[in-house]
Amino acid sequence: MSDISRRKFLQTTSASALLLFSGLGRESQAASVQSYPSKKIGNIKNLKVNEPLAFNYPDNNSPCVLVNVGKEASGGIGQGKSVVSFSTRCTHMGCPLTYNNGRLVCKCHYSMFDVSRNGQTYQGLASQWVAQVVLRLDAATGNIYAEGVEGLIYGRIGNLKLS
Amino acid sequence: MSLTKRKDTLPIPPVDAERYTTVCQYCSAGCGYNVFVWPEKRSGTAKSNAFHVDLSKQGDIMSGFSYTETMHNVITRKNGNRYNLAIIPAKESRINKGDYSIRGGTNALTAYTPTGVTKDRLKYPLLRKENGFVAISWDHAVEIIATLTKKSMDKYGADSVAMKFYDHGSSGLGFEDNWGAGKFFLTGVKTQYLSIHNRPAYNSEVWGSRERGMHELNYDVDDARLADTIVLWGANAYEGATIFYTEHIMPNLQGGSIDEKKREFASGEPADEGRIVIIDPRKNATTTVSQDISAERVLHLRPNLGTDWILANALARIAWENKWYDNDYLQKRTDMKTFEDYKSKSLELAKSLSAFLADAEKITGVSRKEMEEAAAWIAKPKAGGFKRRTLTLYEKGIIWNMKNYDQVAAIAQLNVLTHNVGRPGTGCGRLGGHQEGYVRPGAPTPGSIYAGGPPKNVDKYVTGGGGKIYWVGATDPYLSTPNSKFFKKSVKKRATDLLDYLDNGGIPSDPKAYIAKVLEAFEKTDGLFMVVQDIYKTHTSEDAMLILPAAGWGEAVDTSINCHSRLLRIYDKFMDAPGEALPDWKILALVGNKIKALYTADGNKEMAARFSGMEWKTDAEVFADGAQEFGDNRATEAEEARLSAECYKGVTHEMLRKLGNEGIQTPVRQDPATGKLFGTKRRYQHTFASKDGLFKWYGTDAWTGYPAEIAKYLDNPTYPYWFTTGRSQHVWQTMYHDKRIPEKLMTVPLPYLEIHPDDASKLSLNTGDMAEVFNEEGSCLALVYVNDATKPGLVFGIMFHAKGTMNNLTSSYTDPKTTIPWYKGTKVGVKKYYGKLDDAIKTVSLLSNNDFRTQ
Repeated sequence: MSDISRRKFLQTTSASALLLFSGLGRESQAASVQSYPSKKIGNIKNLKVNEPLAFNYPDNNSPCVLVNVGKEASGGIGQGKSVVSFSTRCTHMGCPLTYNNGRLVCKCHYSMFDVSRNGQTYQGLASQWVAQVVLRLDAATGNIYAEGVEGLIYGRIGNLKLS
Repeated sequence: MSLTKRKDTLPIPPVDAERYTTVCQYCSAGCGYNVFVWPEKRSGTAKSNAFHVDLSKQGDIMSGFSYTETMHNVITRKNGNRYNLAIIPAKESRINKGDYSIRGGTNALTAYTPTGVTKDRLKYPLLRKENGFVAISWDHAVEIIATLTKKSMDKYGADSVAMKFYDHGSSGLGFEDNWGAGKFFLTGVKTQYLSIHNRPAYNSEVWGSRERGMHELNYDVDDARLADTIVLWGANAYEGATIFYTEHIMPNLQGGSIDEKKREFASGEPADEGRIVIIDPRKNATTTVSQDISAERVLHLRPNLGTDWILANALARIAWENKWYDNDYLQKRTDMKTFEDYKSKSLELAKSLSAFLADAEKITGVSRKEMEEAAAWIAKPKAGGFKRRTLTLYEKGIIWNMKNYDQVAAIAQLNVLTHNVGRPGTGCGRLGGHQEGYVRPGAPTPGSIYAGGPPKNVDKYVTGGGGKIYWVGATDPYLSTPNSKFFKKSVKKRATDLLDYLDNGGIPSDPKAYIAKVLEAFEKTDGLFMVVQDIYKTHTSEDAMLILPAAGWGEAVDTSINCHSRLLRIYDKFMDAPGEALPDWKILALVGNKIKALYTADGNKEMAARFSGMEWKTDAEVFADGAQEFGDNRATEAEEARLSAECYKGVTHEMLRKLGNEGIQTPVRQDPATGKLFGTKRRYQHTFASKDGLFKWYGTDAWTGYPAEIAKYLDNPTYPYWFTTGRSQHVWQTMYHDKRIPEKLMTVPLPYLEIHPDDASKLSLNTGDMAEVFNEEGSCLALVYVNDATKPGLVFGIMFHAKGTMNNLTSSYTDPKTTIPWYKGTKVGVKKYYGKLDDAIKTVSLLSNNDFRTQ
C-alpha cells in the first residue's frame, strides 16, 4: 500500500480515530486463551437509533462499536433485535471504520459493511466480513454485555492471542 | 447467529513451510501473492514463523501484511495427507504492495478440498449416457474425441470442428495452455470456426488500435501515478481492476504521487494532484469514490449508448481547434498521408466548429461545455507550455460498444493527436478484464475488414446448423454469449438430436461402437457433439456429450502477464489437481498425439505432421516451445515497437521462479550487443508498430443511427428503457468459484437490476423487489436496486450470474468490421414481479453500493 494512502488516512480519519482510541474502556480485561471475557458495554435504555457507542473488546487494543440500527439485524438483541456490535478495525488492512446510517465505512479503500447483515462487505475490498461482537442483554437491568467475537479481528492470529 | 462459518484464530506456518510465489487468478491488475503450505498438525509460533512477522503483537494499520479468515484453507494432497494452505498478498510486489481485493483475498477458498465448497470439481472424464454422465478413463475419452475429430475432419472438412476457448492468462492459465490450444486447433485442426471465450469469433477486441500501429497494453502502473489526467472510458476501475485503482490511481488523485512526478517531469514542469475524467453512462463506484476523494478533480460525462466515438472525435476537434497538439511529433511519428483522411472524416474540418459540436451534442447527449472541459483536461498544455500528460484507459464499455472498430480507433487517435502515448504519465489502451498470456500460431483471420477480415461468427455457425463437433474450453457460453437465449435453445436442440439418435436402443459402452454410432448420427441428423473442458460442470455442459476435467490455478505451472505493466511472472504449482484432472495443454496434447497416431496408421504423413510437435513432457517445455513463435527478438530499446507485445523469448520458468514477484515486463528483448535480456517498461516512445514505424490514421464513419437489431425497439413503447450491463466487484466472471463461496453468494444472490428512482416510482418498484427485464430476444428475472447510478430512462444489469443471464436480452448484432458484439446496449421493458425471494432478501445487503458518503 502506498505512502499517500496512509498519510491521507491519518488526515481524513483522525477525528474518528480519536473517538475510537481515546478514553474508553477504563476497566482492563486480560486476554485469555481459554475464553472471551464478559464485559458490560452499555445499557439498552441509553442507546438511540443510529447513535453509535464506542468501546474496546476483548482487550483495550480492539476498538468496537455498539449500535441500535433501528431495524432487525442478524445477531441483534433487544426487543426489535436491532442492537448489534462490531470490531471497527477494517478487515481489509486494519483502518478504522466509521459508523454511518446502518453501515461501517472505511475511507482507506472504501470498503463498506452492512451491520444488519453480519458485517457483510456489500461493497469494496475486504474479503472477510467484519468481526461481530456477541452480545447478551440482561433483561432486568437493560445492561448489555460483550461476551465473544465471531470472526477474526484484523491484525491478529487469534482474537485472544496478543502478548 | 452468524450467517456464515467464522474463525477467530488462524494456523501459523512454521519457518520451514513450503513457499511459492504466484499471482492472483482473477483480474487484469495481477496482484502478487505468496503461498505457504505446511502439514496440518504442524505449527509455527507467534515469534518464529514463515511470514517473518511478529504475530504476538496487534498488526499495524496498512502494514502491507494481511492474513485473514479468507486467506486460509486445508487441502489434501495425492499422498492423502492434509496441509494448511495460506495465500497472502505480497508486500514486495510493486503492483499491489500488500493490498488485495475482495476477489484475490479469497484465492485460498477456491482451492480444491474433498469435503469443502469446491468438492464438486471435475475429477474424471465424463461421458453422457441415457441417465446422465458417467466417469470414463482418459484412454477412452481420448480415443473417442480424437477419433471423432479425425473422422469428422476427413469426411466433412476441418470446418466441421468448431471451438470456443479461452485465450488469456491468470484464471484460465496462460502461455502454456494457450500454446497447447493454438497448436491443436490452429496448426492441427485448422478450422476457420474458432472463437474466443467471451465472444462469437476469433479476433482482437482492439483492431481499431492495433491496425494504427499501437498495441493496447503500452503503459506501466507508474503512469497512473504520474499522469496529470487519467481518463477512464467505459472502464469501471475501482470495481473491475480494483488494486490498480487503489494503489495507482487513487494516490494520484489524493496528491500522494507529487514527489514521484517532480522526479520524473521536466525541470519547471507543474506537478499537481491528478484529475480524472470518467466517461460512463452510469455513476458507478469508480465515479463516486473519486468524487469522495476530490469532487472538483472529477469530470463525469454520460454519453448516450453507442455514441462514444462521436464524443472522442469531438474532443479531438476541440484539441485541434485550440492547437493542443505538437506538430513536430505528428510529422515525425505519424503518417501524414492518412492524417488527411482523419481530418476530413473524424475531425470533419469542412464543417464549422459550432455546427460540428452541435451535431455531437445532439448525438451524444453530452453538452459542449462538458466536451470543452474534458478536452482541456486531456490536452491543454500546462502552465509554462508543458504538454499535459494523460493516461486514457478504456475497457468493455468501449470494446463491447456499437461499432467496436471505430470506437477504439477514435480514442487511440485522440491520444496520439495530443501526444499522450510513449511519455511518462501517458498511454492509451485497455484497462483489461483478466490477465493475458497469448502465444499461438497465426490466426486464420489476421485483422478487421481493412486487414483480411472479418472473422467468422461461430455462434451463427453452430446455431445455424454448422459443424459436427463444438469444443468449449473454460467458458460458459450459455451465460456469456450475446443473444444467449437463442444460442442455448439452438445448441440444446442439436445436442438433444444427437443424444436421441444415440439413445435408440441404448448408448454403446464400448468406445469403438460408441464412435461408430456418433458418426452415424453425424450422417443422419443435424446433431452437435459438444465437448466441454473445464474445472466444474457449467450451464453449457448440461448439453455436452463429453466433459474433460482440467487443472486449475495453482495445480499446474502457469505464466501470464498483467495488463497494467505487461509484467510476466510465474504462477507456481502448489497443490495437486483433483482426481485425474489435467492441465489444458496436456489434454490437448493427448488428443493431438492420438490423432497423429491415427493419421500415421493411415499412412497420411501430411496430416500426421499437422498434429506433431505436441510431445511435451513438462509445462516448462510448452513455454519454451511457444517462445519460438515470437521470432527474432534481438532489438535495441529504440526498436521495441517491432516486438510482439507478449514476447518472452529467452525467458524460462526457472528464471521467473528466481525473479518471483519482481518478474520481467514484456516484450522481452535481447540486447543485440550483449545478448542480455531486457524488459520494456513503456511502449512507443520511439516508433509505432507499423512497417514504417509511423502511426496510421483512419477516418471514422459518420453517425448513421442504430443497427436494425436495436432500431426495431426505438419507437416501441413496450421497451422504453435503454439497457446496459457490467460487473460486480465481488464476483468473478460466471461465478464458477464464487457461487460456491457462501459469503459471495449471499452478497450477490441473484442477477440484479439498477434503476433510477424516477423510473422505479413509475413502476412501483423498490429496492429488494424482483423484476422481469424483457425484450424480443429474451428475459431475465432480477433483484432490484433503486439508486442514482443510472440515469432516468436507462437501466443497468449485472451481465451474467450463476442464476441467470442478462445476455438473454442482448441482440445478435456484431460490428461488421470485426465481428465484436455490442453486449452493452439494447432496449428493454421492466415489469414488477409478484412476490419476493425471501431467502435471498434475508441475507443480501440492500444498501446502495455507489454511496460512500459518511457526512
